[in-house]
Amino acid sequence: MSEGALLDRLAQAGPLHALLTPLDEVRSGVAAQATRPPAQGVLAGVPLVVKDNICTLEYTTSCGSRILEGYRSPFDATAIVRLKAAGAVIAGKSNCDEFAMGSSTEHSAYGRTNHPLDPARVPGGSSGGSAALVAARAVPAALGSETGGSVRQPAAFCGVVGIKPTYGRVSRYGLVAFGSSLDQIGVFGDTVTQAGRVLSVISGRDPFDSTCADRDPVVPPERPRDLKDVVIGIPGEYFPADLDRGVRRACERAMERLRALGATLRDVSLPHTKYAIPTYYIIAPAEASSNLARYDGVRYGPRFGDPVDVRALYRNTRGQGFGPEVRRRVLVGTYVLSSGYYEAYYGRAQRMRGLIAQDFDRVFGDGIDLLFTPATPTPAFRAGENMADPVAMYLADIFTVTANLAGLPAMTIPIGRVQGLPIGGQLIAPAFEEARMLGTALALEAVVTGTEEA
Amino acid sequence: MSVSKDEVLKIAQLAELHVDDAALPVLAQQMSRILDYVAQIATVAGSESAPPFIPGPVSAPFRADEVRPAPLAFGPKDLAPAFRDGFFLVPRLGQFAAGADAAVDDE
Repeated sequence: MSEGALLDRLAQAGPLHALLTPLDEVRSGVAAQATRPPAQGVLAGVPLVVKDNICTLEYTTSCGSRILEGYRSPFDATAIVRLKAAGAVIAGKSNCDEFAMGSSTEHSAYGRTNHPLDPARVPGGSSGGSAALVAARAVPAALGSETGGSVRQPAAFCGVVGIKPTYGRVSRYGLVAFGSSLDQIGVFGDTVTQAGRVLSVISGRDPFDSTCADRDPVVPPERPRDLKDVVIGIPGEYFPADLDRGVRRACERAMERLRALGATLRDVSLPHTKYAIPTYYIIAPAEASSNLARYDGVRYGPRFGDPVDVRALYRNTRGQGFGPEVRRRVLVGTYVLSSGYYEAYYGRAQRMRGLIAQDFDRVFGDGIDLLFTPATPTPAFRAGENMADPVAMYLADIFTVTANLAGLPAMTIPIGRVQGLPIGGQLIAPAFEEARMLGTALALEAVVTGTEEA
Repeated sequence: MSVSKDEVLKIAQLAELHVDDAALPVLAQQMSRILDYVAQIATVAGSESAPPFIPGPVSAPFRADEVRPAPLAFGPKDLAPAFRDGFFLVPRLGQFAAGADAAVDDE
């Protein structure tokens, strides 16, 4: 895509409020990258936008927060280094919930992002800006990050492909930390092939991240997998009686088509699924309260007012720099880690996480190759709908958060629309089986159209 | 269970977070809602004895313990509001303003 065409497309997508980088900075940022040797490699000339919590040299990295407004990283994240080396062009930073905490992109300090098909609705979150820009065809691919579903949930809401790799598959060097036992960089693409290609570029071992697995990059399959000998598990817990009827219809149609391709569909049970959200909302805030200690007005963050002592300095910066959802999570995280509550909350949640991971081990050890589920319980909801009740917002991630807790790869692909709104189907695979997941997704993509009504 | 306003204030102190008095009632109510909701895991059979799970390698690999240059595009001088002679310069805190020790006053 030429630079002019890219800027035109980003300008057309302007009303979505999905891109945080002003267009003149995109122009100079793209120009700065053009001084490198001529683009070669599998992503030559492909423009990508990057979630605002991944460090980039050309653009500020604010994490959707006032506390990092204007922050410039002195290095590129490993994923960015690899994208550039593969010829990709980094075309700006996308809006997200502050520090990736949210499911609607309404918790960004820089204003909410609109759903690309209905401005009264949210694009999902936290990587909502990336999802909306890929859905609006402003860019063919984007980076996001996942802690509890922040790539798959907005991808499903916007009708694009979203991949959360296995924990440790992609280096997190340069990803601003939120929940370190959960965080993973993820990919958005307009097709399974596009997303798989980006994943292949950014994955693989990295000496700068000791939690990155010592493994080669993902090799994405070139053609759809033959599903004749594939057993796909359908977990009953992901199809509750109160599941949105449109979501159910779209999933049932996708399942029929998987069956028509020769796959064997088998009912399975993941009995601890319903405890995934409460488990997650202990572990993630606990880790966040620790990771976000660095935003104190000394190490990171501006000083507010004229503090009398160092604790007043910390408290002013954190009290004024963090938005309401981040404040809530820092407080909840501090509470569950505090003396007297640690074992009852955090310790218990770590064990609960063990039970959730064992559920997956059991089904994958019992002849199931992959799982198929809805990606979200509803299509995109209306802006403001879940802002008053934090727990209602948390439940938007009920089908995605399990893969984060168990460290498994998972992805969503568009499987149709209901009353004009996209629905995502989710595939969950055993750890490090991204290629198996992508091959199955290619097969499904060939027989379902993301735009057909279910 | 519910969290009182006093408990929220105590937690906020531990978290080094200023909380406005006006925001306290809503915050206490929201924290109670969240903590009530997550407390349900205490009732799950087996959750007191299951092995804890953390993904990733059991231990982090070590690299050679040697000094290596940080691969940064620019240094601390360009990261700070003010930087001189290898030090960050920051505004003086109020508690040191009056009768400040001349030894630390480098102006």
